[in-house]
Amino acid sequence: MAEVRLVDIEKRYGGFLAVPKQSLTIHEGEFLVLLGPSGCGKTTTMRMIAGLEDITAGDILIAGARVNDKPPKDRDIAMVFQNYGLYPHMTVRQNIDYPLKLRGMNLADRKARVLETAAKVELDALLDRRPSELSGGQRQRVALARAIVRTPSIFLLDEPLSNLDAKLRVTMRAELKHLHHELGVTTVYVTHDQMEAMTLASRVAVMRDGRIVQLDTPKKIYAEPADLFVAGFIGSPSMNLIDGHISGGLFRADGVELPVDLADRDGVVLGIRPEELDITHDTGAAISGKLYALELTGESTLVTLRNGPSSVCARGHADFEAEIDSPCHLKPRTGARIHLFDRETGERLG
Amino acid sequence: MKDRLLPYWLLIPAFVIVLATTIYPLAHSLITSLRDWDLTKSRRPEGFVGFDNYVYAASESQFLNSLWVTFVFVITSVILTVILAMALALLLRRKGPMHTFTRIILILPFAMSPALIGVSYRFMFNPEFGVLAKGLGAIFPALQGVPWLADPQLAMAILVLTDVWHWTPYMTFMCLGGLASIPRETEEAARIDGASNLRIVFGIILPQMKGVILVMAVLKTIFALKMFDQVVTLTGGGPGTSTETLAYFIFNVGFRWFDMGYASALAWILTAIMMFISIWYVRMLLSERKMATA
Repeated sequence: MAEVRLVDIEKRYGGFLAVPKQSLTIHEGEFLVLLGPSGCGKTTTMRMIAGLEDITAGDILIAGARVNDKPPKDRDIAMVFQNYGLYPHMTVRQNIDYPLKLRGMNLADRKARVLETAAKVELDALLDRRPSELSGGQRQRVALARAIVRTPSIFLLDEPLSNLDAKLRVTMRAELKHLHHELGVTTVYVTHDQMEAMTLASRVAVMRDGRIVQLDTPKKIYAEPADLFVAGFIGSPSMNLIDGHISGGLFRADGVELPVDLADRDGVVLGIRPEELDITHDTGAAISGKLYALELTGESTLVTLRNGPSSVCARGHADFEAEIDSPCHLKPRTGARIHLFDRETGERLG
Repeated sequence: MKDRLLPYWLLIPAFVIVLATTIYPLAHSLITSLRDWDLTKSRRPEGFVGFDNYVYAASESQFLNSLWVTFVFVITSVILTVILAMALALLLRRKGPMHTFTRIILILPFAMSPALIGVSYRFMFNPEFGVLAKGLGAIFPALQGVPWLADPQLAMAILVLTDVWHWTPYMTFMCLGGLASIPRETEEAARIDGASNLRIVFGIILPQMKGVILVMAVLKTIFALKMFDQVVTLTGGGPGTSTETLAYFIFNVGFRWFDMGYASALAWILTAIMMFISIWYVRMLLSERKMATA
């Protein structure tokens, strides 16, 4: 376990600024997720921590020691790659054993450690197979086993579940969470999947254009997104974002009239999550439009209505049924959180 | 019915061309190798002598010498070319500022005709005026006036040098192709696991390049077995018969001594060696693929 501190780090590729100057502290034993869309700099940030990319400016400190000039092997880290990075010419046993062998551990201890680690990730029966003889999930386990076999101070996981099918991803997610609980090692996890971030993280750093735009607990990020980008990025289905203006204490857009506590102004985006809207028969409800689509997800039905350019989604009861194009009305639930953002800057208002 | 036969009809022209240009000469030379045919006495092959030409080859010192020369040449040139190509590819795989320029320069030796390379090196190693002979003499005074191509060992070394110089660029490009197919993550994982650069090369990269190295070695072996042009223009097989390769010896037997039956038998011995290597290579490659995809 170790604390990782990024102090004013910056990364440039020639003239291109991939990661602008920023700082971040990852606490001891924490599970920090770097979340953002493709190309936002999250993997570059992780690779800088690993020592696989040089930093252009700033300092990286691991357990208080500056590691800028240290090669990856001297940073006491282990990394799981998106494509696993397994050694194809080695068996599962040799793959797991390799980091121990390189660090000069004696053969008897290595053998015991490999068996113990393989058991932890349920690979005991596959030790003599090569990676090409394994399924995606099994390869993922080998990569994990290779990372945890020598108990490093920091785990770096770069989109480790992105190549797995949806079902396996859920299973592996739970296993990762359990493993982190069991080992307590500081973990940095890169993903573009907000569900993974929400379920795994102690804290989430949402990134955009190389910058961390919000760093907080998953609960806080979900409840109070710092800006329009985070509001739209977190949540599935994503938050309803309706373009309008405020006048007379009401947010107004086509088919939408909601009381808000903000002075009159134009260029406002209102955000409300689908699960905080109820379907109602009240024709004077805050949001009205024509039913555009019904999507049954199993435990609920996603109801999308449209009025002019704006469309609003609500999570309704699984049994809800109605005719497409029929009038539909929605009202915020009691205590529903209404978020207001500036359309131009994306900043949170109020 | 018509449609089903059409593909076969379309194949006929290609089949006829292959038959006329490959199968017929091969079959003809095989039959010739079993006959006695002295071109100075007869324009047509004479009687069948069975395997006499092959039996004679097994005990003829000049043939055995050319076989040994070819063996030495093939082994040294293949090993040196593969090692150099691999080393160069490892140096060139990262994109540097002179990336494209270096690659263009690198391909030039391969673009040159082997016969021309032989002539150029003969001039360059001329003890009187050769730029390399003079240059080496200036750097190492002990090498002044060394008759480079008149010494059997040095002549062979220079023959190998010209071949390595000619083939290394092409093999380097093959290596670069192989290196590009290795996932970057395996190397990075090894760096994180604690491997040194040398260990990454020998423990991670080279094992994944096994297939490519095998293809390179076999291709180079087959081309080296056929070494002819540079021998003609650089050493003429000499001094003595010290650089007389099998291909050059076959040429001499056939077109200097006009013993076509014996020359055909020797050509088939060379073909058999190459076929043996090719079959071995295909089997190795198949087992390699089987292991990779199992």
